[in-house]
Amino acid sequence: MIPAPEGDEALAAAFAAHHAWAFGEAYRRHASLLYSAAYNVLGNADDAKDCVGDAVARLWRSPGSYTAQRGNLRNFLVVCVRNEAISRRRRQARQTRVEERLTSMAPQFEEMHLEDPIERDRVRRALLALPAEQRTAIALAYYDGKTQSEIAAELREPLGTIKSRIKLGLRKLALALEVAPAESERA
Amino acid sequence: MPFHVDDVAELYALGSLEDREREAVDVHLRRCSQCTQAIADAERDVATIASMEPRHEAPAELGSRIERVLEVRPFARAPRAVAHTWMIPAAMAAVLLLGLLPTAYFAAESRAMHDAMIAQNSAITRLASQPYRVANFNAARARVVYGVDGSWYVVIVPSAPKKLAVAWMHDGGRTMLGEAVPHGDVATLYLPKSHRMDRLALMDGERIVAEAKLTWQRTAPNRQAVRSV
Repeated sequence: MIPAPEGDEALAAAFAAHHAWAFGEAYRRHASLLYSAAYNVLGNADDAKDCVGDAVARLWRSPGSYTAQRGNLRNFLVVCVRNEAISRRRRQARQTRVEERLTSMAPQFEEMHLEDPIERDRVRRALLALPAEQRTAIALAYYDGKTQSEIAAELREPLGTIKSRIKLGLRKLALALEVAPAESERA
Repeated sequence: MPFHVDDVAELYALGSLEDREREAVDVHLRRCSQCTQAIADAERDVATIASMEPRHEAPAELGSRIERVLEVRPFARAPRAVAHTWMIPAAMAAVLLLGLLPTAYFAAESRAMHDAMIAQNSAITRLASQPYRVANFNAARARVVYGVDGSWYVVIVPSAPKKLAVAWMHDGGRTMLGEAVPHGDVATLYLPKSHRMDRLALMDGERIVAEAKLTWQRTAPNRQAVRSV
C-alpha cells in the first residue's frame, strides 16, 4: 500500500491517474459523507452499502471518468454516489420517501413545513426561501430523484422552463447554505 | 462534437437525467473542458446540500468490500478447474494475454499502467484456475470469457484499432462497464462483478458495434471448482 499524500490536490491527481490506493484513500476520507449521501436517498443501510460499493466499482472500471479539470474530488464522488442511489431507486421503483410530502402542491408544502419540526433544518429552511416554482422543481429533483421529463410532466411545464428553474434554484440554494458552511466542510 | 451539455449540468448533478442521458454526458465530458467546468460547478452546489443532510457512519464492511473491488490484495489461490473442450478457445486467449504481458509491462512507466497490469493478472489467474464459459460477439471477432458463477468477465477484442466501451444491456437500457483498451493488437477489459449478465455490447461512442449473449446453467457443471470472490 502506498502511503496517502497529505493534500487533497495530490490525492485528486492520483485518483485521476487511476491509482488503486488513491481510490481507497478517497473512500476512507469521505466514507461517512458518501455513505450518508446514499443512505439519505435510499433510506436503507443495506441498499446504501451496495450503492456506495457499486459506485466506487463503476468508477474503478471506468478510467478517465474523473479528471483534475472536474474540480473537487469530494464533490465529484458525492454526485456519483447520489446518482447511483437515484438510479437504484428508480430501478427498484420505490415509492416510500420521507420527503414524499414535498411532491404535493407548493402552497400545501409551505403550510405543512412551516409548522413541522423539520423546518428547523437549514436545508429545508433555505428551500422555503426559494420562489415556489423553483422550490418545487428542486424538491422533485433532489428529494424524489425525478427526471427532468417527469418533473416537466408533473408540473405541466415545458422542459426548458424546468431546466431554468432548477438552474436558478440550485445556485440560490447552495449560496444560502454556503453562508454558514463550517459544519458542511467536515469530511 | 457540435453540441454541449452545460445546459443540463444542474440536472446531471441532481441525478435528474435518465441513465442513458447521463452516460451521454459522461462521454461528452471526456473531451469538453467547457462543459466539464459547468458540471463541476453544479456538483459543488449539490455536494454542498448533500453535506448538510443527516450524517450516518459508514459500516466497516463497506471499506472491506471496496478494498476487494480495488483488488489491492492479491487473490487467494483458487481450486483447479476441471478441463472442458469448450475451454480451449478461452485458454488460447489466456495464452495470448500472457504473451502480451511482458511487452506491456516493460512499456509501462506509470502507476496507472501498473494497475492495469494487476487487473490483467487477475484475469489470467481466473482463466487459469477457474471454470469459465466463452460467448462470441456477433461482430469484430470479439468474445467474452466469463466465470460460471458470474463473478468475473474478460472481454477480448482482437485487432482493435482503438478502445471500445463495453456495456451491459438490460431492462431496455444499458450500464456502461468500462473500456476495452488495446495492448498491442488486442483490446481487453477485465470485469470483476457480483452478478450474472445476459447481454453485453461493444460500443464505439454511442454506436453499438457488436453484441454477445451469455448463457448460464441453473447448476454449475463442477460446483466444487467454483469459488466466490
